[in-house]
Amino acid sequence: MYPKELEKFLLKVQKPGRYTGGELNSIVKDKSKVDIRYAFCFPDTYEIGMSHLGMKILYSLVNAREDAWCERVFAPDVDMEQVMRENGIPLYALESGDAIKNFDLIGFTMQYELSYTNVLNMLDLAGLPVRSKDRTSLTPIVIAGGACVCNAEPMAEFFDITLPGDGEEVTNELIDLLKEYKAKGATKQEFLVAAAQIKGVYVPSLYEVEYNEDNTVKSITPTCGAPAKVEKRNVADLDKMFAPSEFVVPFLEVVHDRTTVEIFRGCIRGCRFCQAGFLNRPLRSKSPRIVEQQCRAICESTGYDEISLCSLSTSDYRGLETLIKNMLPWTIDEKINIALPSLRADNFPKELMEKLNAVRRSGLTFAPEAGTQRLRDVINKNITEEEVLTTAAQAFAGGWTAVKLYFMIGLPTETEEDIQGIANLAQAVVDEFYKNPDKPKGKGVNVSVSLASLVPKPFTPFQWEPQDKPDVLIEKQDYLISCVKTRKVSVSRHVPWTSFLEGVFARGDRRLADVIETAWRKGCKMDGWSEHLKKDAWEESFAENGIDPFFYTARRREYDEILPWDHMDYGVTKKFLINENKKAHKGETTACCREKCAGCGANKLNGGACDEIGKTVV
Amino acid sequence: MKSVRLWFKKDGLAVYISHLDMNRCMTRAVRRAQIPLWYTEGFNPHPYMTFLMPLPLGQAGLREPLDIRIEDDMSFKEIKSRLNAVMPEGIEIVDVAKPVCKPNEIAAAQYEADVIFASEEEAAAFADGAAKIITSGVLNAEKRSKKGIKTVNLCELVRSFEVRANGNTACVKTVLAAGNTVNLNAELLLNALNNSLSANPEKTVIARTGLLREDLSIFE
Repeated sequence: MYPKELEKFLLKVQKPGRYTGGELNSIVKDKSKVDIRYAFCFPDTYEIGMSHLGMKILYSLVNAREDAWCERVFAPDVDMEQVMRENGIPLYALESGDAIKNFDLIGFTMQYELSYTNVLNMLDLAGLPVRSKDRTSLTPIVIAGGACVCNAEPMAEFFDITLPGDGEEVTNELIDLLKEYKAKGATKQEFLVAAAQIKGVYVPSLYEVEYNEDNTVKSITPTCGAPAKVEKRNVADLDKMFAPSEFVVPFLEVVHDRTTVEIFRGCIRGCRFCQAGFLNRPLRSKSPRIVEQQCRAICESTGYDEISLCSLSTSDYRGLETLIKNMLPWTIDEKINIALPSLRADNFPKELMEKLNAVRRSGLTFAPEAGTQRLRDVINKNITEEEVLTTAAQAFAGGWTAVKLYFMIGLPTETEEDIQGIANLAQAVVDEFYKNPDKPKGKGVNVSVSLASLVPKPFTPFQWEPQDKPDVLIEKQDYLISCVKTRKVSVSRHVPWTSFLEGVFARGDRRLADVIETAWRKGCKMDGWSEHLKKDAWEESFAENGIDPFFYTARRREYDEILPWDHMDYGVTKKFLINENKKAHKGETTACCREKCAGCGANKLNGGACDEIGKTVV
Repeated sequence: MKSVRLWFKKDGLAVYISHLDMNRCMTRAVRRAQIPLWYTEGFNPHPYMTFLMPLPLGQAGLREPLDIRIEDDMSFKEIKSRLNAVMPEGIEIVDVAKPVCKPNEIAAAQYEADVIFASEEEAAAFADGAAKIITSGVLNAEKRSKKGIKTVNLCELVRSFEVRANGNTACVKTVLAAGNTVNLNAELLLNALNNSLSANPEKTVIARTGLLREDLSIFE
């Protein structure tokens, strides 16, 4: 429930339903009966945040405890922020309407580097100092999790704690500890020192970073007994892991508004550009029976008519056929559609596709990522042109007329020929459509090519690679567009400057804190939205702080350079990543984990276990 | 297959749910309640569900009709209790009945509005001025329709209008043209009155209390 003083402004802002709370299944508790109040913040708008599975899991998990109350907080849109600032309304939590300033824990989920300024803006809207050192009392403790915290260094001055890895177990442990330290009246420093002893907890302020004259990192030194290497948390058994049986059902339309259930964590593929594929190792699967139970429970409590089976590569799920076969009878009966995001072109059985279309038909998307076989080998995206075309032909035979293809530019070793290859592959898909004798009468084909730019990320084999500068990316985009000779292929491209900024933060260090704060003070926020991105303000902020952003993006790093995130341990060894990087430059592929274990090392996090080791194909 | 008319109340937090969002919200509620909905038989089957009179964002509705079709027989009482068990805050099913009137018989709607001012004087001035304008029979305002924006005399769409000041609040009771052919949003009328009186209320709370037929009998 929103604060009372907001009432007279609610009809003056766009989509007020984002700010009222009161959605079905949102949880309201008696605040006098809980010890810990937790504000779970998503540093983007309601529509984006309400689509995020991690938030739903942790919301339910914390609220399952009697002693804690977790509430949702999103970044207000520009019009609402203005109303709040003009009328002195601080950032509040949706369930209670209470100012989050007085909460015990403020947690941010960091999925995207370009939401960093939103974190500062939300802390400021809450009435809190943005820097960790200026928040001197024990509470609120500001924590962060999510993919971006694998390199939390650019945000190290702002967060008190980050939680690399799976959040399910460590969240509870941290709440227990905070409850204990709050009860005994401890100081913030005492709490942080103790928290650093929990596995999977990183306290940035307990590490001293020294730099060389060339601005590279000289040393990272733990203090106060903090571990030299912070090992990410890993949930060993997904079947036993907490999973929600209810989702908060938004009133207004959000990006993903459906039942979403994870089927496995990790990925067997080893695409060399893909951070998620390396951060989430080792592979851990949920049994089909558990997945089905969870899907059913959520559909019943929400009334959703769509289920998304979520993972990094859904067709690699061993139990997929069993699961779909078991689910089809009741989903068809209840008019529920099953969506399978992240399907791969090479192992997508035709029969399965037909069955899935029994209720409603969804779009068809492939991600060849690169235009030539040579470059696909470099990035270890092991699909062939033939596989893409065969699957496209099957899809066209099944009545599809639109196909979406995802590609990346700016990949290591890329040449003009590789970019030309993207246009060729799109054209080949178009040709495949016209080869189909049963193609629908009077309908054309639409192949849309979505063109992203590579942002080399930590913990991938490309973490040492230079990133193409924005002007180079624009040239490459223009070249591709000049190669497309048909109106049946449409190309949508990303803003290269956005990828550039993302690249700076992805592989940045602590010296970027001043840049982020300067840019935010100049009005930068919602940087991921092209209409809000203030390029000039960012360029001024880099200059004013004497930071050359290309130091972080355009430089090839040596294998022996100390990387700003070297004190984080995601299981995958540096040796493995170096080997993969070398193989990439030789155009050599690495077999997927199911064919042959590549020895990435992540199974050590799971006591040596990995769902792909010692298993035969079902 | 059987047609059923649900009568619902929408107030409190639910006034911020737009008409489009209401559609999705009710579809899900009916699914959660496991009411045997009838689905259209097209390529994209969807449940049959029609809101007879969309409610503008920000306004409460005390008795709003929604037509659905069900496959099996289920008692009205059962439908009502199942739905109310799964409704979000602010939405309540007040009645379930067989549709009596045809949707196109809606001709007018009854509203109650509280126009809240900073002072008693402003409320009294508004009540006095508004009554005079409506009696005069002329209140021109720009009205958006499917054909574009045009100036219309709103008084021609007002079937009845009462206003009295009560402290800081001007309490309005009015019946306005409603339906597919001519329709007047209560908010538009109140804004036009404010403009011509140079009144500046702090807040306006509008509730639609019922729907009427051409002869002003209750739409059932």
